[in-house]
Formats: sequence, structure tokens, C-alpha cells
Amino acid sequence: MFPELNSILNSTPDSFKSSDFILVSDRRADASFLIHHHLSFYLRGLDHNVSGQGVSLAQAREKGQLVFLEGLKNSIGVILQEDTSQETQPLSYLRTPGAGLEGLFRFVERSVRQSGDGDAGESWGPPVLLIDDLSVLLSLGVSVGAILDFTLYCQATVCSELQGNMVILVRCEEEDADDDEEGSNLLRRGLVHQCNLALHVEGLPTGYCRDIHGQMEVWWRQGEETIYNQRKIFHFKVHDKGASFFARGTSSAVL
Amino acid sequence: MLLLDVIQAGGGFILIEDTVQCSGRGLLRCFINAALKRGEDVHVLGFESPETEVCAGLDSSCVQRLHFHKGFPDPLGWTRRSSFTVERFASQHITQLIKDTQHAKAAVLVADSLSMVLRHHDPVVFCQTLQELRQGGVIKTIIGLLHSDLHQQGIVGIVCHLASTVISVAPADNERHSVAKTTRRTKSGKVMQEEEYFSVSEDATLSVQAKPRQPGHAQKERDVSEADPTSNLTFNLRLSEEERKAKQKVALPFVFSQEKKSALLKPTPGSGRIVYEPDANDDFDEEDPDDDLDV
Repeated sequence: MFPELNSILNSTPDSFKSSDFILVSDRRADASFLIHHHLSFYLRGLDHNVSGQGVSLAQAREKGQLVFLEGLKNSIGVILQEDTSQETQPLSYLRTPGAGLEGLFRFVERSVRQSGDGDAGESWGPPVLLIDDLSVLLSLGVSVGAILDFTLYCQATVCSELQGNMVILVRCEEEDADDDEEGSNLLRRGLVHQCNLALHVEGLPTGYCRDIHGQMEVWWRQGEETIYNQRKIFHFKVHDKGASFFARGTSSAVL
Repeated sequence: MLLLDVIQAGGGFILIEDTVQCSGRGLLRCFINAALKRGEDVHVLGFESPETEVCAGLDSSCVQRLHFHKGFPDPLGWTRRSSFTVERFASQHITQLIKDTQHAKAAVLVADSLSMVLRHHDPVVFCQTLQELRQGGVIKTIIGLLHSDLHQQGIVGIVCHLASTVISVAPADNERHSVAKTTRRTKSGKVMQEEEYFSVSEDATLSVQAKPRQPGHAQKERDVSEADPTSNLTFNLRLSEEERKAKQKVALPFVFSQEKKSALLKPTPGSGRIVYEPDANDDFDEEDPDDDLDV
């Protein structure tokens, strides 16, 4: 979890905006560090006894706080038709080309509705859905329309109905003039229409730099009260213990 | 104020086009509010957003004339909780839906959004449906929201062509306003276009300002005091008096001056002459054809 990012987004694990759909995207850069931030952010929000820097994912998984679906690992089994058990129902779209993601949505819905009950009957509170990463579905042959329907349903269930949050990672390719029909950029545009907050990570337009790893654009989109539409760009540097964010031109290497 | 005229008059097929840069849902709310205030029955097909978002801030006294047909949160029927799915976007279903819920008054149909419908219907069938709805007689106005950056340009073009009014929204320089480009086609074929600044208030009322002709005007006035660029240099960029006079005297190579003109046009003695003996058929004109040239 990155404290500087928390202050930029004006949220803490104890008080964050619920029913939010946060879109994380990148182009020629790696935004997965933002997924790690959100994962530890929300787990920390659940368990206030977490000490120090670390949040143990294994423990969270055992307690039932964290539910994993290993999409890529299981998909090979489905494609080769080895495993037709209940576990692989969510990935059944792989066998039927042109099918929608209704099965995957049912898995997500079951998981988020169950997550309300913990081990000793504790309620963990509103669910959080993290998807890393959605553009893999594109390369598996699912159409952009089907993916957008899936995310709309996830948003309807997780955010609107259960007042939880959703964080989705999408990787984009280079903008291409005739790439408007299908592709990751079209998917990203569709998701930006649906989301409340969009974090977009790109390399610096001027090239590589040792002290600044890239720029992140924070785009506050519509909420229910007002239409925000405010955009800000920050520079960031990723290091072992986390990442630091700063306004453009204020990197410690420059000042 | 074309946008205000359109919103107050209603009628026809009004298309609101938006992109990720600027959402058109606020404007859609204003249209719904204006129709309710006119006493019309409004039917909203909500596929993409919850009722709370689409109907936020609407006039509570008119709300009984608003019929929100719940597509969202189940627009495709996966959880069997919706009253109207995207699949049922066809003229017979919609007409039946409207006849079931009201008395025989001209209704306003609002679609949020048409992008969702286009994703699941063939474009040709979709266009046929729109035409049938317009000509059906049950619906007076159709208002649709379309995300133009989610479809191919050709498809967006087709839907715009069907519409009697197209309003494209885009962000403006300042955050509180947006820009709307309205194109309205009347039945006589006349086309009116206007670009205006607008903002949507919390109670879904629209305020419009005409777009200023030179948006950069205010910024230009700020740059009045400029520093002299020829000072503080290591080389000389200025001219002394003699240098300036000499510069004025230089004869530019391709400009006609008096000396050059007289040198070129006066025939010098001994140079070639042209002897021309006209034929019987020739139409010889003694006048100089170049007489009227202003050289």
C-alpha cells in the first residue's frame, strides 16, 4: 500500500468511498504495482490487526477473506477438455466461441455473495473484486462487447447492489489509426465510460529515465452527485518497499 | 439558442452523442426534466445506469409521469430480475410497453443507452426499429444517448443520419461547462447548427451560453508587456541609422520598379522587329492587347 497514493486519491483503508469502480490501465508500462496497492489497501481495511508493512495473502486466503480464481492456469485444462468439473464452469466460454461471459459472472456473483460470511460468522463487510488482467480475455478470443457486458454486470452486483468496490486492470496496445473496431483500446474506452476513477500508467513521453519510471494520470469521473471529470498527471518511481508519487517536475533527482 | 429550443420543443429523434472526454448523461437528464415539466409521459429504457443516476435531481412533482423500465442491473436477463431486457428493443414490444402503462397521449421514449442496444442488435434491424417507432404514432419524441467512441464511424454515421437533431458534447476549457454542437434538421430540409457552452445544475436544469467567437481573446490581452528580444544578446540584432537607410534602398530582384519597367518595355534601336503581314482571313486588330495591363 502506498501512502502517497492514498493522499492523492483522498482515501485510507479505514475510510474509502464505497460502490466505486476503479479502472487501472497501462500502455507500454506495467501498472500491476497499482493492483498490489489496492489488494493490500483493501485487506488492510478488513483486518486492523495487520502490523508493519506486510499483509499475508496466504492467511487472508485461509480465512476466506481472499478468493482466487486462477484463470490462466485452469484455462489450459478447459481448452484441452481434460477437466470438466464444477471448478472450470466459469471458463466454459473458452469452449464455445462467440459465447458471453455469463458463466464467469455467475462464479464472481457466487463468490462475492458468499464472502459476507467469515470463519466465525464474522462479516467482512462489502466485497471487493480485483481483476488482473481483463485484456487476457481479449487474447483468448472473447469479444469486446461480451467483456463490457460482463463488467457491467459485475459493477451492478458488486458496486450498486452490495456497495462494494471493483478494481480492474486492462493492458492497452499502441493506439493505431484503424484499430477502432476491436482491441484493447476500444475495451478501455468502454470501461472508462462505466468507471468512477481511472488510473492510467504510461512511460514518460520523453523516454526512459532512471529516477522517474513513468507517469500516472488520475481521472475522477462521474459520481452520483456531480460530474467531476477532473484529470491530473503525476510522476512515480517504483522501488522495493513501494512506490512514490510526485507532481511533475518535482522528482528528487531534479530538485 | 438552438439547444434551448430543441430541449423545450421536443419532437422527432434527438440523439445525444458523447465520448469518454465528456458524458452526455447530464444533458439527457435535462431533456427528461423538460419533457416532464411539459406534462408529457416519459418512458426510460435504462440499460446502462441505475435509476438513481439517470433520474437524479428530477422535479419530484412530475415524477408520476416518469416510467423507468428496469434494464439495469440485469439488461441481458442473466439474473432474471429485469422488466425489460435489451433483447426486447423492438417496435412491437416497446409500443406494447407504452400502451400498457399509460393513457393515449404522445409519449417520450428515452434510451440509456443506444450503445448498449447496438451492441446486441444488428444495425439494420436497429434502424428499422427506430423508423417504425417514429412512424408508429404512439411516440412523439425519441431521445437516445450514444457513446460515439465505442462504435465504428459508419455505424455512428447511420444513427446520426436517422436523427432529426444531433447534439455532440465535448469538454470545454473550464471544468464547469461543456460544449454542445447541435445540428437540427427540419422537415423542410433546412439545417441549423450551433455551438454553445452549457452546464447542468443539480436539479437537472440546463443553462446555456453562446460560445464566444474568439476563445483565445482573453488570453492574448495578458501578453501585452513582452520583453525586448534584441536585448541581452552576445551578438547584435539592431540596425543603426545608415544601415536602415541602406536596407531601404536595396532593389529587390523580382519586384517591378519604374526603371526596370521602362527598360523592358521600350524597344531599343537595332533590336529585332516583328514584321507581320495579315492574311485575307486574319482579323488584324491595331490596338495593343496589353494596353490594359497595370504593370
